[in-house]
Amino acid sequence: MAALAPVQVSPLIKFGRWSALLLGIMWGSHHYNTLKASETAWRVEEAERKIVKDAHKATEKTRLNREELLYLADQAGVKVPPNF
Amino acid sequence: MAKALTGLAAKAPGLIKGVVDYSTPKLNTFWHYARVELTPPTPADIPKITQGLNSLVKSARTGKWKEVPVKEAWLNTLITAEIAFWFFVGECIGKGTIVGYQV
Repeated sequence: MAALAPVQVSPLIKFGRWSALLLGIMWGSHHYNTLKASETAWRVEEAERKIVKDAHKATEKTRLNREELLYLADQAGVKVPPNF
Repeated sequence: MAKALTGLAAKAPGLIKGVVDYSTPKLNTFWHYARVELTPPTPADIPKITQGLNSLVKSARTGKWKEVPVKEAWLNTLITAEIAFWFFVGECIGKGTIVGYQV
């Protein structure tokens, strides 16, 4: 195939292409910043909620551990020391 | 691992020269066409741009767009699709990744 001559592209099409590119860049960075802001806000709230949740989980775990040991002692016939 | 790295470092100048020799003609062809077809419009083109926009609006208003042959309509569709793809490429550049937003 012989080398084709470059096509004279209509200025309207060139204008459309490059303005679409610029609009896309502007939209992409704006949307990214919006999403990042809301995500960091959610992460901050989640970190606060995590402290409360972890404390709650720790107390639940010790409570369930104690009840399980009491049950096992009852089944095995082991005497439970006072103030357990 | 060290031996592979020293071997690569010894071959690197030859590899780079190979890459350059292979890509230069192709880059030249690309530049030959891009310099005419892909350049942004200059301010001197503004009258032609407004003319083009006016003819589009007039064709939409008068109903002339219904008289366009199917082949030309198909070409116009492809051109519109290409312009839309440039928008999505711009969005990828703006957000910094190709797939998804890395928030």
